[in-house]
Amino acid sequence: MSDPIVSTEGLCKRFGEVKAVDDVTFSVERGQVYGLLGPNGAGKTTILRMLTGLERPTAGNLRLFGEPVTPSCAQLLRVGAMVEQAAFVPHLSGMLNLKLWWEAGGTSFADADLDNALAVAGLDSAIDRKVRTYSQGMKQRLGFARLLLSRPELLILDEPTNGLDPGEIREIRELIGRLTDDGATVLLSSHHLNEVEQVCTHALVINHGRLVADGTVSELIGSSGAVYVEVDDRDRAQAILAALPSVSDVQQQGDGLVVHMRDGRRSDLAAAITTAGLRLETLMPTQQLEDAFLDLLAAQEVAS
Amino acid sequence: MIALLRTEFVKAARRTRTLIIALALVGLPTLIVVAIKARGNRPDRGDRGEGLFRLASQSGLLVPGAVLSVMSGFLLVVIAGSIAGDSVASDASWGNLRYVLMRPVSRGRLLAAKASVAGVLIWAATILVAIAGLIAGIALFGVHPVNVPGLSLGGTGAGFQLSTGALVARTALGAAYVAFSFSALLAMGTFFSTLTDTATGAIGATIGVYIVSEILDSISQLGVVRYGFPTHYSDAWTTMFTANTFSHDMIAGVVVQAAYFVVFSAAALWWFRTKDIRS
Ligand SMILES: Nc1ncnc2c1ncn2[C@@H]1O[C@H](COP(=O)(O)OP(=O)(O)OP(=O)(O)O)[C@@H](O)[C@H]1O
Ligand SMILES: [Mg+2]
Repeated sequence: MSDPIVSTEGLCKRFGEVKAVDDVTFSVERGQVYGLLGPNGAGKTTILRMLTGLERPTAGNLRLFGEPVTPSCAQLLRVGAMVEQAAFVPHLSGMLNLKLWWEAGGTSFADADLDNALAVAGLDSAIDRKVRTYSQGMKQRLGFARLLLSRPELLILDEPTNGLDPGEIREIRELIGRLTDDGATVLLSSHHLNEVEQVCTHALVINHGRLVADGTVSELIGSSGAVYVEVDDRDRAQAILAALPSVSDVQQQGDGLVVHMRDGRRSDLAAAITTAGLRLETLMPTQQLEDAFLDLLAAQEVAS
Repeated sequence: MIALLRTEFVKAARRTRTLIIALALVGLPTLIVVAIKARGNRPDRGDRGEGLFRLASQSGLLVPGAVLSVMSGFLLVVIAGSIAGDSVASDASWGNLRYVLMRPVSRGRLLAAKASVAGVLIWAATILVAIAGLIAGIALFGVHPVNVPGLSLGGTGAGFQLSTGALVARTALGAAYVAFSFSALLAMGTFFSTLTDTATGAIGATIGVYIVSEILDSISQLGVVRYGFPTHYSDAWTTMFTANTFSHDMIAGVVVQAAYFVVFSAAALWWFRTKDIRS
Protein backbone atom coordinates (compact mmCIF):
# COMPACT_ATOMS: atom_id res chain seq x y z
CA MET A 1 0.00 0.00 0.00
CA SER A 2 1.25 3.46 -0.76
CA ASP A 3 1.95 6.03 1.91
CA PRO A 4 -0.96 8.08 3.15
CA ILE A 5 -0.96 11.61 1.77
CA VAL A 6 -1.12 13.06 5.26
CA SER A 7 -0.30 11.26 8.46
CA THR A 8 0.22 12.39 12.00
CA GLU A 9 1.15 10.43 15.06
CA GLY A 10 0.79 11.70 18.61
CA LEU A 11 0.85 15.28 17.36
CA CYS A 12 1.05 17.86 20.17
CA LYS A 13 1.41 21.61 20.26
CA ARG A 14 1.60 23.57 23.46
CA PHE A 15 1.60 27.32 23.90
CA GLY A 16 2.82 27.70 27.46
CA GLU A 17 0.15 26.03 29.53
CA VAL A 18 -2.33 25.78 26.68
CA LYS A 19 -2.41 22.44 24.91
CA ALA A 20 -3.69 23.64 21.55
CA VAL A 21 -3.23 20.21 19.98
CA ASP A 22 -3.04 17.17 22.21
CA ASP A 23 -1.97 13.75 20.99
CA VAL A 24 -3.70 13.78 17.62
CA THR A 25 -3.20 10.80 15.29
CA PHE A 26 -4.88 10.48 11.91
CA SER A 27 -4.15 9.86 8.29
CA VAL A 28 -5.63 10.93 4.99
CA GLU A 29 -5.40 8.61 2.00
CA ARG A 30 -5.28 9.63 -1.62
CA GLY A 31 -8.64 10.79 -2.92
CA GLN A 32 -10.23 11.26 0.48
CA VAL A 33 -11.90 14.52 1.35
CA TYR A 34 -11.38 15.01 5.02
CA GLY A 35 -13.21 17.57 7.10
CA LEU A 36 -11.56 18.81 10.27
CA LEU A 37 -14.42 19.78 12.51
CA GLY A 38 -14.28 21.57 15.79
CA PRO A 39 -15.58 24.58 17.65
CA ASN A 40 -13.63 27.83 17.94
CA GLY A 41 -10.23 27.34 19.51
CA ALA A 42 -10.32 23.57 19.05
CA GLY A 43 -6.90 23.57 17.40
CA LYS A 44 -7.86 23.22 13.75
CA THR A 45 -5.69 26.03 12.45
CA THR A 46 -2.80 24.94 14.63
CA ILE A 47 -2.89 21.45 13.06
CA LEU A 48 -2.93 22.93 9.56
CA ARG A 49 -0.06 25.31 10.38
CA MET A 50 2.04 22.40 11.56
CA LEU A 51 1.17 20.46 8.40
CA THR A 52 2.41 23.30 6.24
CA GLY A 53 5.68 23.68 8.15
CA LEU A 54 4.79 27.05 9.64
CA GLU A 55 4.78 25.86 13.24
CA ARG A 56 6.82 23.12 14.83
CA PRO A 57 5.04 20.42 16.82
CA THR A 58 5.96 20.21 20.48
CA ALA A 59 5.84 16.43 20.11
CA GLY A 60 4.77 13.80 17.64
CA ASN A 61 5.31 13.01 13.99
CA LEU A 62 3.95 14.63 10.92
CA ARG A 63 4.29 13.40 7.35
CA LEU A 64 3.16 14.61 3.96
CA PHE A 65 3.45 12.13 1.09
CA GLY A 66 5.38 9.86 3.44
CA GLU A 67 8.13 12.36 4.20
CA PRO A 68 8.52 14.20 7.51
CA VAL A 69 7.35 17.80 7.48
CA THR A 70 10.00 20.45 8.14
CA PRO A 71 9.81 24.20 7.53
CA SER A 72 9.68 24.85 3.77
CA CYS A 73 9.99 21.11 2.99
CA ALA A 74 9.95 20.06 -0.65
CA GLN A 75 6.62 18.21 -0.41
CA LEU A 76 4.90 21.58 -0.02
CA LEU A 77 5.30 21.94 -3.79
CA ARG A 78 2.60 19.26 -4.12
CA VAL A 79 0.30 21.02 -1.66
CA GLY A 80 -2.02 23.94 -2.21
CA ALA A 81 -2.76 25.50 1.12
CA MET A 82 -4.77 28.33 2.54
CA VAL A 83 -4.35 28.82 6.27
CA GLU A 84 -6.80 31.28 7.78
CA GLN A 85 -7.94 33.90 5.33
CA ALA A 86 -6.25 34.47 2.00
CA ALA A 87 -3.76 37.33 2.20
CA PHE A 88 -1.71 39.19 -0.36
CA VAL A 89 0.61 42.13 -0.87
CA PRO A 90 -2.02 44.88 -0.81
CA HIS A 91 -0.30 47.44 -3.03
CA LEU A 92 0.17 45.04 -5.93
CA SER A 93 -2.40 43.80 -8.42
CA GLY A 94 -3.94 40.36 -8.12
CA MET A 95 -2.01 39.25 -11.18
CA LEU A 96 1.33 40.55 -9.95
CA ASN A 97 0.70 38.87 -6.60
CA LEU A 98 0.22 35.54 -8.36
CA LYS A 99 3.30 36.09 -10.51
CA LEU A 100 5.63 37.12 -7.69
CA TRP A 101 4.40 34.37 -5.43
CA TRP A 102 5.02 31.81 -8.12
CA GLU A 103 8.40 33.18 -9.15
CA ALA A 104 9.65 33.38 -5.57
CA GLY A 105 9.97 29.61 -5.81
CA GLY A 106 12.45 30.02 -8.65
CA THR A 107 10.14 28.78 -11.40
CA SER A 108 8.97 30.51 -14.55
CA PHE A 109 5.44 31.88 -14.54
CA ALA A 110 4.93 30.16 -17.90
CA ASP A 111 4.94 26.80 -16.06
CA ALA A 112 2.07 27.76 -13.78
CA ASP A 113 -1.46 26.58 -14.44
CA LEU A 114 -2.53 30.16 -14.94
CA ASP A 115 -5.55 29.72 -17.21
CA ASN A 116 -7.25 27.35 -14.82
CA ALA A 117 -6.35 29.53 -11.85
CA LEU A 118 -7.78 32.64 -13.48
CA ALA A 119 -10.93 30.81 -14.47
CA VAL A 120 -11.35 29.73 -10.86
CA ALA A 121 -10.74 33.21 -9.52
CA GLY A 122 -13.27 34.63 -11.96
CA LEU A 123 -12.01 38.13 -11.27
CA ASP A 124 -11.99 39.25 -14.90
CA SER A 125 -10.51 42.72 -15.21
CA ALA A 126 -10.27 43.11 -11.43
CA ILE A 127 -7.24 40.83 -11.57
CA ASP A 128 -5.24 43.90 -12.61
CA ARG A 129 -6.50 46.03 -9.74
CA LYS A 130 -4.62 46.39 -6.49
CA VAL A 131 -5.57 43.70 -4.00
CA ARG A 132 -6.22 46.48 -1.48
CA THR A 133 -9.43 47.20 -3.38
CA TYR A 134 -10.72 43.60 -3.20
CA SER A 135 -13.56 42.31 -1.06
CA GLN A 136 -12.89 39.36 1.23
CA GLY A 137 -14.68 37.10 -1.24
CA MET A 138 -12.47 38.28 -4.09
CA LYS A 139 -9.37 37.71 -1.99
CA GLN A 140 -10.58 34.25 -1.12
CA ARG A 141 -11.08 33.40 -4.78
CA LEU A 142 -7.68 34.83 -5.64
CA GLY A 143 -6.35 32.64 -2.83
CA PHE A 144 -7.80 29.61 -4.57
CA ALA A 145 -6.28 30.75 -7.84
CA ARG A 146 -2.88 31.04 -6.17
CA LEU A 147 -2.97 27.61 -4.62
CA LEU A 148 -4.07 26.01 -7.88
CA LEU A 149 -1.15 27.45 -9.86
CA SER A 150 0.97 24.43 -8.96
CA ARG A 151 -1.70 21.81 -9.82
CA PRO A 152 -1.55 20.50 -6.24
CA GLU A 153 -2.30 16.90 -5.29
CA LEU A 154 -3.33 17.87 -1.78
CA LEU A 155 -5.42 20.84 -0.77
CA ILE A 156 -5.21 22.12 2.78
CA LEU A 157 -7.99 24.60 3.40
CA ASP A 158 -8.71 26.40 6.63
CA GLU A 159 -12.34 27.45 6.82
CA PRO A 160 -12.38 28.20 3.10
CA THR A 161 -15.83 29.75 3.13
CA ASN A 162 -15.32 31.91 6.19
CA GLY A 163 -16.52 35.47 5.70
CA LEU A 164 -18.20 34.83 2.35
CA ASP A 165 -21.78 35.50 1.32
CA PRO A 166 -24.10 32.58 0.49
CA GLY A 167 -23.52 32.87 -3.26
CA GLU A 168 -19.76 32.83 -2.80
CA ILE A 169 -20.01 29.95 -0.34
CA ARG A 170 -21.85 27.90 -2.92
CA GLU A 171 -19.28 28.74 -5.58
CA ILE A 172 -16.40 27.71 -3.33
CA ARG A 173 -18.12 24.45 -2.39
CA GLU A 174 -18.78 23.66 -6.02
CA LEU A 175 -15.17 24.41 -6.77
CA ILE A 176 -13.97 22.03 -4.07
CA GLY A 177 -16.39 19.48 -5.48
CA ARG A 178 -14.90 19.85 -8.97
CA LEU A 179 -11.37 19.55 -7.65
CA THR A 180 -12.16 16.39 -5.72
CA ASP A 181 -13.90 14.94 -8.74
CA ASP A 182 -10.61 15.46 -10.54
CA GLY A 183 -8.90 13.38 -7.88
CA ALA A 184 -7.54 15.95 -5.45
CA THR A 185 -7.09 14.91 -1.85
CA VAL A 186 -8.46 17.50 0.56
CA LEU A 187 -8.13 18.31 4.22
CA LEU A 188 -10.38 21.18 5.13
CA SER A 189 -11.29 22.65 8.45
CA SER A 190 -14.69 24.03 9.15
CA HIS A 191 -17.17 24.68 11.83
CA HIS A 192 -20.01 24.53 9.35
CA LEU A 193 -21.25 21.01 9.76
CA ASN A 194 -23.41 21.07 6.70
CA GLU A 195 -20.36 22.09 4.70
CA VAL A 196 -18.48 19.01 5.85
CA GLU A 197 -21.56 16.90 5.23
CA GLN A 198 -21.90 18.22 1.69
CA VAL A 199 -18.28 18.29 0.68
CA CYS A 200 -16.42 15.63 2.64
CA THR A 201 -16.18 11.88 2.57
CA HIS A 202 -14.50 11.70 5.97
CA ALA A 203 -14.34 13.82 9.06
CA LEU A 204 -12.17 14.31 12.11
CA VAL A 205 -13.79 15.92 15.09
CA ILE A 206 -11.53 17.72 17.52
CA ASN A 207 -12.31 19.58 20.70
CA HIS A 208 -9.85 21.22 23.09
CA GLY A 209 -7.04 19.92 20.94
CA ARG A 210 -8.05 16.28 21.26
CA LEU A 211 -9.34 13.98 18.57
CA VAL A 212 -12.90 13.03 19.44
CA ALA A 213 -13.89 11.09 16.35
CA ASP A 214 -12.46 9.96 13.03
CA GLY A 215 -14.37 8.19 10.32
CA THR A 216 -16.50 8.49 7.23
CA VAL A 217 -19.15 11.13 7.39
CA SER A 218 -21.90 8.53 7.29
CA GLU A 219 -20.26 6.56 10.10
CA LEU A 220 -20.09 9.65 12.21
CA ILE A 221 -23.73 10.40 11.62
CA GLY A 222 -24.71 6.80 12.17
CA SER A 223 -22.38 5.82 14.97
CA SER A 224 -24.45 7.42 17.63
CA GLY A 225 -28.15 8.07 17.76
CA ALA A 226 -31.13 6.96 15.83
CA VAL A 227 -32.11 5.43 12.50
CA TYR A 228 -35.45 5.79 10.79
CA VAL A 229 -36.78 2.58 9.19
CA GLU A 230 -39.81 1.89 7.01
CA VAL A 231 -40.85 -1.71 6.27
CA ASP A 232 -43.93 -3.51 4.95
CA ASP A 233 -44.74 -5.12 8.33
CA ARG A 234 -44.04 -2.62 11.06
CA ASP A 235 -44.99 -4.64 14.12
CA ARG A 236 -42.92 -7.69 13.20
CA ALA A 237 -39.96 -5.47 12.36
CA GLN A 238 -40.26 -3.76 15.71
CA ALA A 239 -40.00 -7.10 17.53
CA ILE A 240 -37.07 -8.28 15.41
CA LEU A 241 -35.08 -5.08 15.80
CA ALA A 242 -35.74 -4.75 19.52
CA ALA A 243 -34.20 -8.19 19.98
CA LEU A 244 -30.89 -7.17 18.36
CA PRO A 245 -28.07 -6.65 20.89
CA SER A 246 -26.97 -3.41 19.22
CA VAL A 247 -30.39 -1.81 19.57
CA SER A 248 -31.43 -0.11 22.76
CA ASP A 249 -34.92 1.02 21.90
CA VAL A 250 -37.47 0.96 19.06
CA GLN A 251 -40.42 3.34 18.80
CA GLN A 252 -43.15 3.80 16.24
CA GLN A 253 -43.23 7.11 14.50
CA GLY A 254 -45.50 7.97 11.61
CA ASP A 255 -45.37 5.14 9.08
CA GLY A 256 -42.07 3.84 10.36
CA LEU A 257 -39.87 3.06 13.28
CA VAL A 258 -37.18 5.05 15.06
CA VAL A 259 -34.43 2.69 16.15
CA HIS A 260 -31.96 3.83 18.79
CA MET A 261 -28.64 2.05 18.49
CA ARG A 262 -26.03 1.45 21.14
CA ASP A 263 -23.30 0.63 18.68
CA GLY A 264 -22.93 -1.36 15.51
CA ARG A 265 -23.72 -0.29 12.00
CA ARG A 266 -26.93 0.54 10.23
CA SER A 267 -26.28 -2.25 7.80
CA ASP A 268 -26.85 -4.69 10.72
CA LEU A 269 -30.43 -3.44 10.89
CA ALA A 270 -30.92 -3.86 7.17
CA ALA A 271 -29.53 -7.38 7.32
CA ALA A 272 -31.82 -8.38 10.21
CA ILE A 273 -34.88 -7.07 8.40
CA THR A 274 -34.15 -8.69 5.07
CA THR A 275 -33.17 -12.08 6.58
CA ALA A 276 -36.54 -12.09 8.30
CA GLY A 277 -38.10 -11.83 4.83
CA LEU A 278 -39.45 -8.32 5.33
CA ARG A 279 -39.28 -5.65 2.66
CA LEU A 280 -37.06 -2.72 3.60
CA GLU A 281 -38.46 0.50 2.13
CA THR A 282 -36.38 3.15 3.83
CA LEU A 283 -33.40 3.22 6.17
CA MET A 284 -31.72 6.50 7.05
CA PRO A 285 -30.10 8.26 9.94
CA THR A 286 -32.49 10.58 11.70
CA GLN A 287 -29.48 12.53 12.72
CA GLN A 288 -27.59 15.10 10.82
CA LEU A 289 -23.89 15.50 11.35
CA GLU A 290 -24.68 18.49 13.48
CA ASP A 291 -26.38 16.34 16.11
CA ALA A 292 -23.65 13.74 15.96
CA PHE A 293 -21.08 16.43 16.40
CA LEU A 294 -22.82 17.99 19.37
CA ASP A 295 -23.29 14.55 20.92
CA LEU A 296 -19.59 13.83 20.56
CA LEU A 297 -18.62 17.13 22.10
CA ALA A 298 -21.05 16.64 24.96
CA ALA A 299 -19.71 13.14 25.55
CA GLN A 300 -16.19 14.49 25.71
CA GLU A 301 -17.17 17.20 28.17
CA VAL A 302 -18.70 14.58 30.45
CA ALA A 303 -15.64 12.36 30.18
CA SER A 304 -13.14 15.05 31.12
CA MET B 1 17.99 33.19 -4.71
CA ILE B 2 18.11 35.65 -7.63
CA ALA B 3 14.39 35.08 -8.13
CA LEU B 4 13.70 35.79 -4.48
CA LEU B 5 15.81 38.94 -4.54
CA ARG B 6 13.88 40.14 -7.53
CA THR B 7 10.43 39.37 -6.17
CA GLU B 8 11.24 40.89 -2.79
CA PHE B 9 12.64 43.96 -4.49
CA VAL B 10 9.48 44.48 -6.52
CA LYS B 11 7.35 44.13 -3.40
CA ALA B 12 9.38 46.74 -1.53
CA ALA B 13 10.01 49.12 -4.40
CA ARG B 14 6.42 49.30 -5.60
CA ARG B 15 5.16 50.82 -2.38
CA THR B 16 3.87 54.36 -2.32
CA ARG B 17 6.09 54.86 0.71
CA THR B 18 9.19 54.17 -1.36
CA LEU B 19 8.19 56.86 -3.83
CA ILE B 20 7.53 59.39 -1.08
CA ILE B 21 10.91 58.66 0.50
CA ALA B 22 12.61 59.06 -2.87
CA LEU B 23 10.93 62.42 -3.42
CA ALA B 24 11.96 63.60 0.04
CA LEU B 25 15.52 62.47 -0.57
CA VAL B 26 15.72 64.50 -3.74
CA GLY B 27 13.72 67.46 -2.50
CA LEU B 28 15.41 68.05 0.82
CA PRO B 29 18.99 68.35 -0.45
CA THR B 30 17.72 70.70 -3.14
CA LEU B 31 16.03 72.87 -0.52
CA ILE B 32 19.16 72.90 1.61
CA VAL B 33 21.28 74.03 -1.34
CA VAL B 34 18.82 76.76 -2.21
CA ALA B 35 18.95 77.89 1.43
CA ILE B 36 22.74 78.06 1.38
CA LYS B 37 22.60 80.08 -1.78
CA ALA B 38 20.03 82.44 -0.32
CA ARG B 39 22.11 83.01 2.80
CA GLY B 40 24.96 84.11 0.61
CA ASN B 41 28.67 83.63 1.05
CA ARG B 42 29.38 85.38 4.32
CA PRO B 43 32.25 83.49 5.93
CA ASP B 44 32.31 85.68 9.05
CA ARG B 45 28.90 84.46 10.03
CA GLY B 46 28.75 82.61 13.38
CA ASP B 47 29.67 78.98 13.11
CA ARG B 48 28.22 76.35 15.44
CA GLY B 49 29.70 73.20 14.04
CA GLU B 50 28.27 73.82 10.64
CA GLY B 51 31.63 72.72 9.30
CA LEU B 52 31.06 71.68 5.76
CA PHE B 53 28.18 74.05 5.36
CA ARG B 54 30.30 77.14 5.61
CA LEU B 55 32.41 75.90 2.77
CA ALA B 56 29.68 74.48 0.62
CA SER B 57 28.99 77.57 -1.39
CA GLN B 58 32.57 77.53 -2.69
CA SER B 59 31.88 74.50 -4.86
CA GLY B 60 29.00 72.30 -5.91
CA LEU B 61 31.30 69.34 -5.37
CA LEU B 62 31.30 69.94 -1.63
CA VAL B 63 27.52 70.08 -1.38
CA PRO B 64 26.87 66.31 -1.27
CA GLY B 65 29.14 66.01 1.76
CA ALA B 66 27.48 68.96 3.44
CA VAL B 67 24.01 67.59 2.78
CA LEU B 68 24.93 64.09 3.95
CA SER B 69 26.42 65.45 7.16
CA VAL B 70 23.11 67.03 8.14
CA MET B 71 20.81 64.32 6.84
CA SER B 72 22.67 61.27 8.12
CA GLY B 73 22.16 62.24 11.75
CA PHE B 74 18.40 62.00 11.80
CA LEU B 75 16.46 61.85 8.56
CA LEU B 76 18.45 59.05 6.98
CA VAL B 77 18.33 57.17 10.29
CA VAL B 78 14.55 57.36 10.24
CA ILE B 79 14.39 56.28 6.63
CA ALA B 80 16.89 53.46 7.00
CA GLY B 81 15.11 52.37 10.18
CA SER B 82 11.78 52.27 8.36
CA ILE B 83 13.23 50.21 5.55
CA ALA B 84 15.01 47.73 7.80
CA GLY B 85 12.25 47.45 10.39
CA ASP B 86 9.75 46.77 7.65
CA SER B 87 11.75 44.08 5.89
CA VAL B 88 10.06 41.00 7.35
CA ALA B 89 7.25 42.55 9.36
CA SER B 90 5.52 44.10 6.34
CA ASP B 91 4.80 40.70 4.78
CA ALA B 92 3.84 39.44 8.24
CA SER B 93 1.45 42.31 8.84
CA TRP B 94 -0.25 41.71 5.49
CA GLY B 95 -0.61 38.03 6.43
CA ASN B 96 1.33 37.12 3.30
CA LEU B 97 4.46 35.74 4.96
CA ARG B 98 2.97 32.30 5.52
CA TYR B 99 2.03 32.02 1.86
CA VAL B 100 5.53 32.88 0.71
CA LEU B 101 6.94 30.25 3.04
CA MET B 102 4.48 27.67 1.73
CA ARG B 103 5.75 28.22 -1.81
CA PRO B 104 8.04 26.66 -0.33
CA VAL B 105 10.86 29.12 0.15
CA SER B 106 13.65 28.45 2.65
CA ARG B 107 13.39 30.75 5.61
CA GLY B 108 17.11 31.53 5.63
CA ARG B 109 17.05 32.55 1.98
CA LEU B 110 13.92 34.60 2.35
CA LEU B 111 15.44 36.48 5.26
CA ALA B 112 18.67 37.01 3.32
CA ALA B 113 16.70 38.30 0.33
CA LYS B 114 14.63 40.67 2.46
CA ALA B 115 17.68 42.01 4.30
CA SER B 116 19.57 42.43 1.02
CA VAL B 117 16.72 44.37 -0.51
CA ALA B 118 16.58 46.58 2.58
CA GLY B 119 20.35 47.06 2.33
CA VAL B 120 20.13 48.02 -1.33
CA LEU B 121 17.36 50.52 -0.59
CA ILE B 122 19.38 52.08 2.25
CA TRP B 123 22.43 52.45 0.02
CA ALA B 124 20.20 53.83 -2.73
CA ALA B 125 18.74 56.36 -0.30
CA THR B 126 22.20 57.56 0.73
CA ILE B 127 23.44 57.77 -2.83
CA LEU B 128 20.29 59.56 -3.91
CA VAL B 129 20.91 62.25 -1.31
CA ALA B 130 24.48 62.65 -2.52
CA ILE B 131 23.47 62.84 -6.17
CA ALA B 132 20.62 65.25 -5.54
CA GLY B 133 23.04 67.43 -3.55
CA LEU B 134 25.62 67.19 -6.30
CA ILE B 135 23.25 68.19 -9.06
CA ALA B 136 21.72 71.07 -7.13
CA GLY B 137 25.17 72.13 -5.91
CA ILE B 138 26.73 72.17 -9.34
CA ALA B 139 23.73 74.02 -10.73
CA LEU B 140 23.97 76.79 -8.15
CA PHE B 141 27.67 76.93 -7.25
CA GLY B 142 29.48 75.37 -10.20
CA VAL B 143 32.53 73.09 -10.13
CA HIS B 144 35.53 74.55 -8.32
CA PRO B 145 38.31 73.45 -6.01
CA VAL B 146 37.77 74.38 -2.38
CA ASN B 147 40.04 76.36 -0.09
CA VAL B 148 39.67 75.22 3.49
CA PRO B 149 40.97 77.91 5.85
CA GLY B 150 43.12 76.63 8.72
CA LEU B 151 41.66 77.95 11.93
CA SER B 152 38.14 78.68 10.90
CA LEU B 153 36.93 75.16 11.52
CA GLY B 154 38.36 74.89 14.99
CA GLY B 155 41.41 73.08 13.66
CA THR B 156 44.93 74.17 14.38
CA GLY B 157 46.67 73.34 11.14
CA ALA B 158 47.26 75.49 8.14
CA GLY B 159 44.64 75.86 5.48
CA PHE B 160 44.64 73.54 2.47
CA GLN B 161 43.10 73.19 -0.93
CA LEU B 162 40.89 70.34 -2.16
CA SER B 163 41.12 69.81 -5.91
CA THR B 164 38.01 68.87 -7.84
CA GLY B 165 39.36 65.35 -8.25
CA ALA B 166 39.95 65.00 -4.52
CA LEU B 167 36.47 66.36 -3.83
CA VAL B 168 34.85 63.81 -6.08
CA ALA B 169 36.84 60.91 -4.66
CA ARG B 170 36.30 61.92 -1.05
CA THR B 171 32.60 62.53 -1.62
CA ALA B 172 32.24 59.05 -3.03
CA LEU B 173 34.14 57.57 -0.10
CA GLY B 174 32.14 59.64 2.38
CA ALA B 175 28.81 58.55 0.90
CA ALA B 176 29.93 54.92 0.98
CA TYR B 177 30.98 55.34 4.61
CA VAL B 178 27.63 56.90 5.53
CA ALA B 179 25.74 54.08 3.83
CA PHE B 180 27.95 51.45 5.42
CA SER B 181 27.36 53.06 8.81
CA PHE B 182 23.78 51.86 8.55
CA SER B 183 24.89 48.22 8.55
CA ALA B 184 24.32 47.87 12.28
CA LEU B 185 20.92 49.48 11.89
CA LEU B 186 20.09 47.21 8.96
CA ALA B 187 20.84 44.04 10.90
CA MET B 188 19.15 45.27 14.07
CA GLY B 189 16.09 46.39 12.15
CA THR B 190 15.88 43.05 10.37
CA PHE B 191 16.20 41.25 13.68
CA PHE B 192 13.46 43.36 15.29
CA SER B 193 11.40 42.80 12.17
CA THR B 194 11.46 39.04 12.71
CA LEU B 195 10.28 39.47 16.29
CA THR B 196 6.96 41.11 15.56
CA ASP B 197 4.11 41.13 13.08
CA THR B 198 3.58 44.86 13.46
CA ALA B 199 5.93 46.74 11.20
CA THR B 200 5.60 49.98 13.16
CA GLY B 201 6.86 48.25 16.29
CA ALA B 202 10.00 47.02 14.57
CA ILE B 203 10.59 50.40 12.92
CA GLY B 204 10.10 52.26 16.21
CA ALA B 205 12.46 49.95 18.04
CA THR B 206 15.16 50.33 15.40
CA ILE B 207 15.01 54.10 15.26
CA GLY B 208 14.71 54.20 19.05
CA VAL B 209 17.94 52.26 19.52
CA TYR B 210 19.75 54.69 17.23
CA ILE B 211 18.42 57.76 18.97
CA VAL B 212 19.32 56.36 22.38
CA SER B 213 22.75 55.51 21.03
CA GLU B 214 23.21 59.07 19.81
CA ILE B 215 22.07 60.53 23.12
CA LEU B 216 24.26 58.27 25.23
CA ASP B 217 27.16 58.90 22.88
CA SER B 218 26.97 62.59 23.70
CA ILE B 219 27.50 61.88 27.41
CA SER B 220 31.27 61.94 27.63
CA GLN B 221 31.30 60.59 31.19
CA LEU B 222 30.43 57.21 29.75
CA GLY B 223 34.02 57.04 28.53
CA VAL B 224 35.25 54.13 26.44
CA VAL B 225 31.85 52.43 26.51
CA ARG B 226 30.78 54.93 23.89
CA TYR B 227 33.27 53.54 21.37
CA GLY B 228 31.03 50.52 21.08
CA PHE B 229 27.87 52.47 20.26
CA PRO B 230 26.66 52.02 16.71
CA THR B 231 26.55 55.76 16.12
CA HIS B 232 29.87 56.69 17.75
CA TYR B 233 31.91 56.86 14.56
CA SER B 234 29.11 58.05 12.28
CA ASP B 235 30.75 61.38 11.48
CA ALA B 236 34.33 60.13 11.22
CA TRP B 237 34.31 60.70 7.47
CA THR B 238 33.89 64.50 7.67
CA THR B 239 37.57 65.09 8.53
CA MET B 240 38.34 64.20 4.93
CA PHE B 241 36.92 67.61 4.08
CA THR B 242 37.56 69.68 7.19
CA ALA B 243 41.05 68.56 8.27
CA ASN B 244 42.48 66.91 5.14
CA THR B 245 42.93 63.65 7.05
CA PHE B 246 41.52 60.16 6.75
CA SER B 247 40.68 59.54 10.36
CA HIS B 248 41.51 56.19 11.93
CA ASP B 249 38.04 56.47 13.38
CA MET B 250 36.72 55.47 9.97
CA ILE B 251 38.38 52.10 10.28
CA ALA B 252 37.08 51.72 13.83
CA GLY B 253 33.64 52.65 12.54
CA VAL B 254 33.76 49.98 9.86
CA VAL B 255 34.83 47.37 12.41
CA VAL B 256 32.06 48.31 14.86
CA GLN B 257 29.44 48.25 12.12
CA ALA B 258 30.63 44.90 10.86
CA ALA B 259 30.52 43.46 14.38
CA TYR B 260 26.94 44.62 14.96
CA PHE B 261 25.99 43.38 11.53
CA VAL B 262 27.32 39.88 12.15
CA VAL B 263 25.80 39.55 15.62
CA PHE B 264 22.33 40.82 14.74
CA SER B 265 22.20 39.02 11.40
CA ALA B 266 22.99 35.77 13.16
CA ALA B 267 20.32 36.50 15.78
CA ALA B 268 17.76 37.33 13.10
CA LEU B 269 18.58 34.20 11.13
CA TRP B 270 18.42 31.97 14.17
CA TRP B 271 15.14 33.41 15.33
CA PHE B 272 13.45 33.50 11.94
CA ARG B 273 14.34 29.87 11.28
CA THR B 274 13.05 28.72 14.64
CA LYS B 275 9.96 30.81 15.13
CA ASP B 276 6.38 29.76 14.59
CA ILE B 277 4.94 31.68 11.67
CA ARG B 278 1.56 32.93 12.64
CA SER B 279 1.00 35.61 10.06
N1 LIG C 1 0.42 31.69 19.32
C1 LIG C 1 -0.41 31.25 20.26
N2 LIG C 1 -0.16 31.50 21.55
C2 LIG C 1 -0.97 31.05 22.50
N3 LIG C 1 -2.07 30.34 22.27
C3 LIG C 1 -2.37 30.06 21.00
C4 LIG C 1 -1.55 30.50 19.92
N4 LIG C 1 -2.10 30.07 18.77
C5 LIG C 1 -3.21 29.38 19.12
N5 LIG C 1 -3.37 29.38 20.45
C6 LIG C 1 -4.44 28.71 21.19
O1 LIG C 1 -4.53 27.40 20.71
C7 LIG C 1 -5.89 27.00 20.65
C8 LIG C 1 -6.21 26.51 19.26
O2 LIG C 1 -6.20 27.59 18.36
P1 LIG C 1 -6.54 27.42 16.82
O3 LIG C 1 -6.35 28.73 16.17
O4 LIG C 1 -5.79 26.26 16.28
O5 LIG C 1 -8.09 27.07 16.89
P2 LIG C 1 -9.12 26.88 15.70
O6 LIG C 1 -9.70 25.55 15.89
O7 LIG C 1 -8.49 27.17 14.41
O8 LIG C 1 -10.20 27.97 16.06
P3 LIG C 1 -11.13 28.89 15.10
O9 LIG C 1 -12.29 28.05 14.72
O10 LIG C 1 -11.50 30.01 15.97
O11 LIG C 1 -10.28 29.30 13.94
C9 LIG C 1 -6.71 28.18 21.10
O12 LIG C 1 -7.03 28.01 22.44
C10 LIG C 1 -5.78 29.34 20.92
O13 LIG C 1 -6.07 30.33 21.88
MG1 LIG D 1 -8.81 28.62 12.93
